[in-house]
Amino acid sequence: MQKQRTVTFNHNPLLKRELPVWRSRFVLMVLLACFLALVGRALFLQGINNEFLQAKGEMRYARVLEVPATRGRITDRNGDMFAVSTPVRSVWAIPSDVNLEPGEARQLSKLLEMDVSELNAKLASGRDFAYLKRQLSPDVADQVAALKLAGIHQQQEYRRFYPGGEVTAHMLGFTSVEDRGQEGIELAYEAQLAGQPGSRRVIKDRRGQIVEDVESIRPPRDGEDVVLAMDGKLQYLAYSALREAMQKYRAKAGAVVVVDVRTGEVLALANAPTFNPNNRANLTGAQLRNRAFTDTFEPGSVMKPFIAGMALESGKFKATTKIDTSPGRLTIGTASIGDAHVHGVLSVAEVIQKSSNIGTVKMALQFSPEEMWRLFNQLGFGSQLDLGFPGEAAGRLRPAKSWRPIEQATMSYGHGISVSLIQVAHAYLAFARDGDLLPLSLTKLDEPKGSSKRIFSPEVAREVRAMLEMAAGPGGTAPQAQVPGYRVAGKTGTAYKLEGGQYVKKYISSFVGLAPASRPRLVVAVMIDEPNGAHYGGAVAAPVFARIVEGSLRALGVAPDAPITPLQLARKQGVEVPAVQESM
Amino acid sequence: MKIAAALSSIFASREPATCSAGARTVARMMQPSQPARELDLLLIWSAVGLLLIGLVMVYSSSIAIAEGSRFTGHQSHYFLMRHAVFLAVGIATGLVAFQMPMTQWQRLAPALFVSGVVLLIVVLIPGLGREVNGAQRWLSLGPVNLQPSELMKVFAAIYAADYTVRKLDAMGSFKRGFLPMMMVILFVGFLLLREPDFGAFVVITAIAFGVLFLGGVNIRVFALLGVVALVGFMVLIWTSPYRRERIFGFMDPWQDAFGKGYQLSHALIAFGRGEWFGVGLGASVEKLFYLPEAHTDFLLSVIAEELGFVGVVVVIGLFAVLIQRAFVIGREAIKLERYFSGLVAQGIGLWMGVQSFINMGVNMGLLPTKGLTLPMMSFGGSGIVANCVALAILLRIDWEVRQMKRGAGS
Repeated sequence: MQKQRTVTFNHNPLLKRELPVWRSRFVLMVLLACFLALVGRALFLQGINNEFLQAKGEMRYARVLEVPATRGRITDRNGDMFAVSTPVRSVWAIPSDVNLEPGEARQLSKLLEMDVSELNAKLASGRDFAYLKRQLSPDVADQVAALKLAGIHQQQEYRRFYPGGEVTAHMLGFTSVEDRGQEGIELAYEAQLAGQPGSRRVIKDRRGQIVEDVESIRPPRDGEDVVLAMDGKLQYLAYSALREAMQKYRAKAGAVVVVDVRTGEVLALANAPTFNPNNRANLTGAQLRNRAFTDTFEPGSVMKPFIAGMALESGKFKATTKIDTSPGRLTIGTASIGDAHVHGVLSVAEVIQKSSNIGTVKMALQFSPEEMWRLFNQLGFGSQLDLGFPGEAAGRLRPAKSWRPIEQATMSYGHGISVSLIQVAHAYLAFARDGDLLPLSLTKLDEPKGSSKRIFSPEVAREVRAMLEMAAGPGGTAPQAQVPGYRVAGKTGTAYKLEGGQYVKKYISSFVGLAPASRPRLVVAVMIDEPNGAHYGGAVAAPVFARIVEGSLRALGVAPDAPITPLQLARKQGVEVPAVQESM
Repeated sequence: MKIAAALSSIFASREPATCSAGARTVARMMQPSQPARELDLLLIWSAVGLLLIGLVMVYSSSIAIAEGSRFTGHQSHYFLMRHAVFLAVGIATGLVAFQMPMTQWQRLAPALFVSGVVLLIVVLIPGLGREVNGAQRWLSLGPVNLQPSELMKVFAAIYAADYTVRKLDAMGSFKRGFLPMMMVILFVGFLLLREPDFGAFVVITAIAFGVLFLGGVNIRVFALLGVVALVGFMVLIWTSPYRRERIFGFMDPWQDAFGKGYQLSHALIAFGRGEWFGVGLGASVEKLFYLPEAHTDFLLSVIAEELGFVGVVVVIGLFAVLIQRAFVIGREAIKLERYFSGLVAQGIGLWMGVQSFINMGVNMGLLPTKGLTLPMMSFGGSGIVANCVALAILLRIDWEVRQMKRGAGS
C-alpha cells in the first residue's frame, strides 16, 4: 500500500486510470473474439464438414469382418454323422503389443501346450500378426482369454471332426485348417459343403478389439449337408475285413469297394494303410492314397468273364462249347502263354471256373481288336468314372489299332491293360444287373441316376453269373468265397506286378464277386497288394469277400437263397480238395 | 463449510490483525439468511462447472487407456482417482490461498517468482528432473510429480503485476519499463525451452507482456515490438519452405495423416463424429487408443465426440464467462486504485484465456500442435492445483474489492 501511494503520487490518477480500462476492454474483446472463432470452427467441424471427417474415421476403425459359415455335415445313408464341424478358436497375437511377464508366459505356454521358448520365438517375429495356436478347444481358449493378456486375441473357427476316424478316412478325405476340402468327398463336394461366409461391419479400437457392431452386410449361408451312399455298418465291415487280411498276409496295401446292385451306389469303400483324419500329424503319402480310385493295376483273371460274355453274346460260343486247352501252352508269334495246370478239353463255363488262360485267349482271338476294345470301353475301362472324386485314375486301354495279336491275347486275361478297383466293381454290375450297366454314385440315391447301358443280353449275363458261381464253388478257383446261407459268384485275379517295365515276383491278388447269386444285391471288389505267405486271389482276397458279403447281406436284411448245412459241407470239401489254382 | 471454518480459525490465530475480516466473512457465509454476496457467483459456478465436467471427462477419456495399460495396473479408475485427489488438494490449497490478503501476495511476489525460477533450473538438472516423452518437465516428490512450469504461470501473473505497479511511472520508457521485464522473460523462456515446454513459454510470455500492456506500457513501444516480431516471423517463414511446412503443416493433417498429422487427424475425426449432440457420454471411439493424450491435451476432442457441438459450446461459454469475470473483477479493483490486485486478476484472466484458446485451437486444428493442457479440466496435478490457486486469488481480489466498497476493509 505504501508503495502504491508513492507511485501514484507522480501521475495524474485520472489519466492513469483511463488508459488501462480501454486496454483491458480491448484485451477481453480480443480473447472473446478468439473464442467466437473457436465456436465457428467447431460449427464447421461438427455441423458442416462432419461427413468428410466421419468418412476418414470409418477408414481408420471400421472393418468388414467375415462371419464364418458352418460347413455342411457328411452323413451316411442312414443319417449317421461322419464329418461334422465343431467350433474351435485360434489364438493369435500382435507381437509388438505383447509384453508378457515370465509368469504369464509360463501360464500361456502351458495352456497352448508349447515350450516357453517356442512361444517367445513366435512373439519375437517382427510381423504384425502371428498365430500362436490354431484350432484350440473352446474351454482352453476361454482359459487363455481369462488371462487378459494385451496383444493376444482369438478368432472363431471351425474344425472338422470325423467320428468314423480311420474307417472312413479315404472315403471322406479331410479339410485344410482353413476349412477347405483337401481330399475325398470333402474335396469332391466342396461346392456343396462349403458355406458362404457372411460379413458385417464393425468398429474396432486400435488394439483390434471390436467395440461396436455397426451393421450386418450379408448373413452367412451355412453349407449343405451331403448324404453319402455309404452305409456305416458295411463300411466298418469292409474296413475290418480288409485290415484283418492285411495283417494276416503282411500286405503292402489293399482296397475294398462294395456297390449296391440296384442303384449303383457305393455302399462302402475302404483302403489300407489308412490314417486318422482327426490327427494328421505324421501322415505319409502311402497312407493318404485312396487306392480304389487312384491306383491302377493289371487286373489279371477278373477280366476273363467279360471275354466269356462277349463270346456268348456273339453266338460263336455256347456255355457248353468245348475248347481244347492242352498241352497247357499256346504260342503266339514269338511269345507263349501257359496255364498253371493242364486242363485238357474244357467247356466255356469250365474255362472261367478253372480260370484257364489258354481257353480265354482262344475265345478272344475269334474277335477283332476293335470288338474287344469296344467291350472294354463300354464297361468303362480306360476312362474316368467321373464321380468327381479327386485323383480318379482312368487306367490304360490303348487304341485297338496298335494292338499286336499277343497283346490282344494277354489283355483277354487282364495283362497289358490297367484298371482301378472301382472300375472293376463298376464293370461287374453288368453281370449282376442282367447285362445292364449303371453309373456309380457316391451319394445316396432314391433311384438310379443317369441312363443304363446294355452290355450283354439278360440270358448271357445269367449264364456268365452261373459260371462265376461255379468259380466260387467247389472245383473253382475260389471256394473260400463261400458264405453260409447265400449263393455267391465271383472271379479271382492274381497278377504279377510291373516294376520298371518288367514283371517281377510280386503279386496283386484280387477277387470281384456278387451275392446273392440268384438275385444279386451287392458287388464286392477286393484287392490286396503284395501279400506274403500266399498270393492267389482265391486264398487272399476271396475270404475278405466272404466276410464282407456275409455281414453285409445280413445287415441289409437280404433273404438267404441257399440252405446253410450243404454249404458247410462244401467248405469242408474245399479244404480236403484244394481249390484249382488259377492261371496267371 | 466446516473446512472453511476450520481454515479461517487457523488463519485467525496466525494472523489476527489482518484477518479478522476474513474470519467474519466466512462466518457470514455460514449463515443461510445471508447468501454469499461477498463472492462472485458467476465466477464460482463457471469454475465449478469446468472442474466437474473436467473430472467426468477425464474419467471417460482415460478409462480405456487405464484399463489397457500395465503401468496403471489395469485399473479403469486409475486416472479418475488421481484427478479427484488432485482436485481435492487443489481446492484445499485454494482455500488456504484465499485466506492470504493481496498485500501479502504482493510482498511475496519477487520471492515466489525467484523460487519459481529456481525450480525451473532444478528441473533441468539431470537426475532431479524427470523425463517423460523426451521432455524434462517434472520434479519427483515422493508419490507425486511437481511441474514447476504450471506454478510459474501463477507466479508470473503475480510478479508481472507487482513489477508493473512498482514501475508504473516508468511504463512510458522502453529502457526502464519494458526492457528489464523482457530480459527476465527471455531468461525464463530460455529455461522453459530447454525442457522443452513451448506451450508454457507462450502462456507465460503472454501473461507477462499482457500485464505490461494492461499496466500502460508505452503503446508505441509495444506496437513496434509487435511489428518487429511479426515481420521477423514472416521473413523466417518465407525464406524457408521447410519451416513453412513445419508451421503450417497442421492446416492439412490429411497430407500425412498417419505420420505428423496422426494426432490432429484423430482429433478432427472426433469432432466430426460428435456432430450436434455427440455420440453419448462414454461412447467415444477415438479415446480407444486412437487419440493420444485423450485425457490431457486432447480432452476437448473427447468432449466434442461424446457431447457434440453443444458440449463444446458449453465449455467455451464457461471459459468465456470465467475470463470475463476475471477482467471485470480486475477493472473493479483498478477503479478502487488497487492496481496490483487488478493486474493480477486480469493476468489470471489472460492466462486462462490464452491457454484455453491455444488448447482448443490445437484440438480443432486452428493452431499448430503444442503440448498445452486445457485449464481446470485436463488431467494433471500441478496444473489443477495451480488453477485452483489462481481461482482462489481471483475470489480473494473480488472479496477484498467488495469489502472495500462496503467500507469494511482497509
